[in-house]
Amino acid sequence: MLLDHADIEKTPSVIIYLLRRVFYVVPIALAVSLVCFMLVHIAPGDPINAILPPDAPQELVIQVKHEYGLDKPLPVQFGMWLLHVLHGDLGRSLATGQPVWEELSVAVVNTFRLAVVAALLGFTLGSVFGGVAAAWRGTWIDRCLVGVAVTGVSVPHYWLGMVLVVIFGVELNVLPAMGAGPGGSSDWSWDWEHFQYLVLPSVTLAMIPMGIITRTVRGIVIEILGQDFITTLRGKGMLPRSLFIHVLKNAAPNASAVMGLQLGYLMGGSILVETVFSWPGTGFLLNNAIFQRDIPVLQGTILLLALFFVVLNLMVDLLQTALDPRIKRA
Amino acid sequence: MIETSTAEVPLMIEGKATASQGQGYWQGVARRLSRDKTTIAFGVVLLLTFAAILFAPLLAPYDPYQNDMLHRLAPIGFEHHPLGTDELGRDLLTRLLYGGRLSWFLGITPVLIAFMLGGLLGVIAGFAGGSVNMMIMRVTDVFFAFPSVLLAVAISGALGAGIFNAILSLTLVFIAPMIRVAETATTSVRELDYVEAARASGAGSFTIVRVHVLPNVLGPIFAYATSLISVSMILAAGLSFLGLGTKPPDPEWGLVLNTLRSAIYTQPLITMLPGVCIFVTSICFNMVSDGLRAAMDVRS
Amino acid sequence: MNIRRFGLALALAGSLLSLSAAQAGETLRIAMTAADIPTTTGMPNNGWEGMRFLGYPIFEGLILWDLTHADRLATLRPGLAQSWEQAPGDPKTWIFHLRHGVKFHDGTDFNADAVIWNLDRYFKNDSPQFEAGGSGITRSRVPLLASYKKIDDSTVALTTTRPASYFPSMVVYVLFTSPASFEKAAHDWGRVATLPAAGTGPFRIAQVVPHQSVRLTRWDGYWDAGRKAKVDSVLLLPVPEANTRLAALRSGQADWIEVPPPDGIPSLKAAGFTISTNSYPHVWPWFYNMGAANSPFKDVRVRQALNYCIDRAALVSMLNGTAEPAIGWLKPNDPAFGKPLNRYGFDPAKGKALLAAAGYGAQKPLSFKVMISPAGSGQMVPLPMNELLQQNLKQACGVDVTFDVAEWNVLMNAGRLLPDSPGLHGAMALNVSSPTTDIGTMARFFAAANFSPTGNNFEHWNDAQFEAALDTAANATDPAAMQAAYRAAHERLVDDPPWLYIVHDLNPRALSKKVHGLVAAQSWFIDLTLISLQ
Repeated sequence: MLLDHADIEKTPSVIIYLLRRVFYVVPIALAVSLVCFMLVHIAPGDPINAILPPDAPQELVIQVKHEYGLDKPLPVQFGMWLLHVLHGDLGRSLATGQPVWEELSVAVVNTFRLAVVAALLGFTLGSVFGGVAAAWRGTWIDRCLVGVAVTGVSVPHYWLGMVLVVIFGVELNVLPAMGAGPGGSSDWSWDWEHFQYLVLPSVTLAMIPMGIITRTVRGIVIEILGQDFITTLRGKGMLPRSLFIHVLKNAAPNASAVMGLQLGYLMGGSILVETVFSWPGTGFLLNNAIFQRDIPVLQGTILLLALFFVVLNLMVDLLQTALDPRIKRA
Repeated sequence: MIETSTAEVPLMIEGKATASQGQGYWQGVARRLSRDKTTIAFGVVLLLTFAAILFAPLLAPYDPYQNDMLHRLAPIGFEHHPLGTDELGRDLLTRLLYGGRLSWFLGITPVLIAFMLGGLLGVIAGFAGGSVNMMIMRVTDVFFAFPSVLLAVAISGALGAGIFNAILSLTLVFIAPMIRVAETATTSVRELDYVEAARASGAGSFTIVRVHVLPNVLGPIFAYATSLISVSMILAAGLSFLGLGTKPPDPEWGLVLNTLRSAIYTQPLITMLPGVCIFVTSICFNMVSDGLRAAMDVRS
Repeated sequence: MNIRRFGLALALAGSLLSLSAAQAGETLRIAMTAADIPTTTGMPNNGWEGMRFLGYPIFEGLILWDLTHADRLATLRPGLAQSWEQAPGDPKTWIFHLRHGVKFHDGTDFNADAVIWNLDRYFKNDSPQFEAGGSGITRSRVPLLASYKKIDDSTVALTTTRPASYFPSMVVYVLFTSPASFEKAAHDWGRVATLPAAGTGPFRIAQVVPHQSVRLTRWDGYWDAGRKAKVDSVLLLPVPEANTRLAALRSGQADWIEVPPPDGIPSLKAAGFTISTNSYPHVWPWFYNMGAANSPFKDVRVRQALNYCIDRAALVSMLNGTAEPAIGWLKPNDPAFGKPLNRYGFDPAKGKALLAAAGYGAQKPLSFKVMISPAGSGQMVPLPMNELLQQNLKQACGVDVTFDVAEWNVLMNAGRLLPDSPGLHGAMALNVSSPTTDIGTMARFFAAANFSPTGNNFEHWNDAQFEAALDTAANATDPAAMQAAYRAAHERLVDDPPWLYIVHDLNPRALSKKVHGLVAAQSWFIDLTLISLQ
């Protein structure tokens, strides 16, 4: 994990590797947008349905198709869309006529809020559980915590969300069952009146990251504690507190890499939780857009999420490679 | 969901590759597994579940499509219906047994195909290096750009509901991480001394791969694949939940979970059952996969 | 003396408090089944639910519905037009006399110019205010409009393509938005949606939060002083998941939810909530694809047979009473039902006999595919309902049914395809609900002139006696003659059935005890001005 002399010699090739990875973001982004576009257009059903009802007169259909460029061949449509995207114009929603960028920015903020709170919850619990389990390895504490972790990744979390709503929302009536804020709007302030809407969705969403982080941290800490020089240091009488800090420093790089990737999952994978709780984030937007065939919204949202993920992946890769050049790729 | 697991692989490969391959190693793995009581216990549960769903036609008391409107939403322990009935009066025990076949099928098949295809592509990429590697890995990166749930929903949303479409979309979701894991594994093995020696002695690429590389990488790749099974099952159930996976009246666990939802206020216990099935199966697969990895990790 | 004064003061304070509590800006929170907010520009999408909540309460038309009676079918009443008549000597032209002194929510006047401006929005493709979405919706509901013109500031004339006595029942679907809204939004309908747009109705839009909610407030300047709203504001929330709606009601986040999940109804009743249903013709059928090359439904005996093979009572019981059996397009107690020869009910013997006569039996079972959706406006709970029918038909009459589960928009679109179109995936029947019933709708769905793809007659059904009756009704001027012709037409719909009539949706809604004054009119629409909260 810590660079030694031999690794420093390998640095130039590492730098070249890093530069190459950054350079590849552009073609990847292009390919991602192409895949988005194709996905959205393979779908059965006419995108015109987002604008016009099925029993609209034929001449109207032709006119609208022409206005929206839906009658042009697909490569041309893709080219035009790409051109607009490069100018920062994601088009307008077919269903609402609102600029996609506006709808997306509201949705992204909502999902980000949910993802960050879920991440904090999941990562904190995961790190604590993982660390404790590693420190008390082999005991019933370890087994218990590993059980909790495995439960976290094995339970269908959207179903858990529904159960929580029934318990806390309906039966006990202490938490709201849906939505992102009082008054049907997601305008936010950090008070209980607003925060109570975050509780159930973030707990539900945090299950999987909690489970994964617990296992990851446990594995990393076990490995660190098993290193020879730890035994030596312990033998020399190192204080538990300094030991703890030492473990933290060494576990941080890999653990942060994993957490970074998990944040990406939370941003992009919240669609099921958002559907259960009617949380107006990107997942909710996507779900609607899929069923309405609202192509500009679909393309814009998927593209944005994917690009975010590409950049996130890249940063995690850079972090990992910089800290541990042994994991080298061509 | 799968995004992090690939980060654990380097830790695994490292330990594996420093040990010499051969009979001694696998005997060691088997020995460690046999002493791991937890893994064995979960493995037994898994086998029992598998047997139950395999012999569903013999074990199930009814036809899974046979409805009985007079006895819909019957509670657990109702006469002739040990686990109650669903919203159309179909026996839940039967639906769960037959549904298990679909859920396991949707859990294992995409992972199996991804394992074979992705594993192959990854090993090729890892071993060939250079431009072949670059091509394969960059295309993989494109798929990696999509968070797994998003990709599954987007592809299923595009193709429509149905078992075949669900398998297709899940396979596409898992191929990217499989390729990456296989490539990482192969790359680390490729650099090893005895592989270099084999090459220097003039052995052909195919032989080297078969004799030196594959035995070393198959283990970790396989262990990683098993960890994906529970993810696949949960994702498939999630797709059914959104209306994109299995189509009614097929009794896949996720679909049964979805359709029983509205009964949560009248018969809450029976609505838990499909969730419990998914949960138990997932946990078993996860624990067995964990045990496998631990057994293969020499250093611990 | 002091005590008495003190007591009096207390009582006065108490009554003042309670008075203010009653007037304390209560908001009626409604959870709709729509997945997203219907368009807020004056011609809402999302089907009839859109019209119910984002249509009539805010935007009105020349003619409106009378939704104040629960004991009879909803009728038409004068709206922004105080009277209308067919032009003497020209039955195709209708003269509408506009109401005086009506203002839009933004203060501008409602007059003939506003009417023409709005009609141009829907019917004139090259007008600057042309709006594709609204145009598509309106044109499909008012297919007979040929032309229109302003006669003077308070009179307009609408001309139809052919004489149709039922034209007013189409005009009721044309709603008006203030032209000033379009100007304020710099000619961008997308922006009009969030302005908010101004109408003439008893509520005005106060705030639109895209994808999340719409807030309406009472419009105190409403032209019909006797029909002003009672609540201060209404909050509309799109909640497509039935269970989430139920949870919202029970957790106190909503006061009124549309279509609770039928299985949740007993628990709602037990928890003290009110379930409101009302009985009006809202058929949930299977459309027979009679026009397809290999369709088994060309034979009227097969179409009748299935109507005898299904157990409607079982379906109703599964739905916990939120539907009632349908044995025709109208309800049996409707004066226009008539006396058809076929009285459908669960009679498997008769069904099998009819199938046998048509050549189907154990050796050659009848087997076909039905296209259904997992959800959608008016579709009720399609999956369990269709699965029940599948089992029912197999057990009772040996009929094999398979399903093609398509997304709702695809299914709606399929209703406008040609019978052999590949987009139908080989389906011989479509499960599409039919939300309103009046002669105009009957003509749209069943007249031979309206075969798909140009019209709504997906079945390509052509019954000579029906055509004759429809023609009589269209040209009739005497209500009794119109009614008699309507009856005759309906009898043909029963005896030569283009549909498998399954159930009438009772359109249930669940309300908290706070909600008072709801009149469950015999209509898809509802009068929100009657509601008060306590």
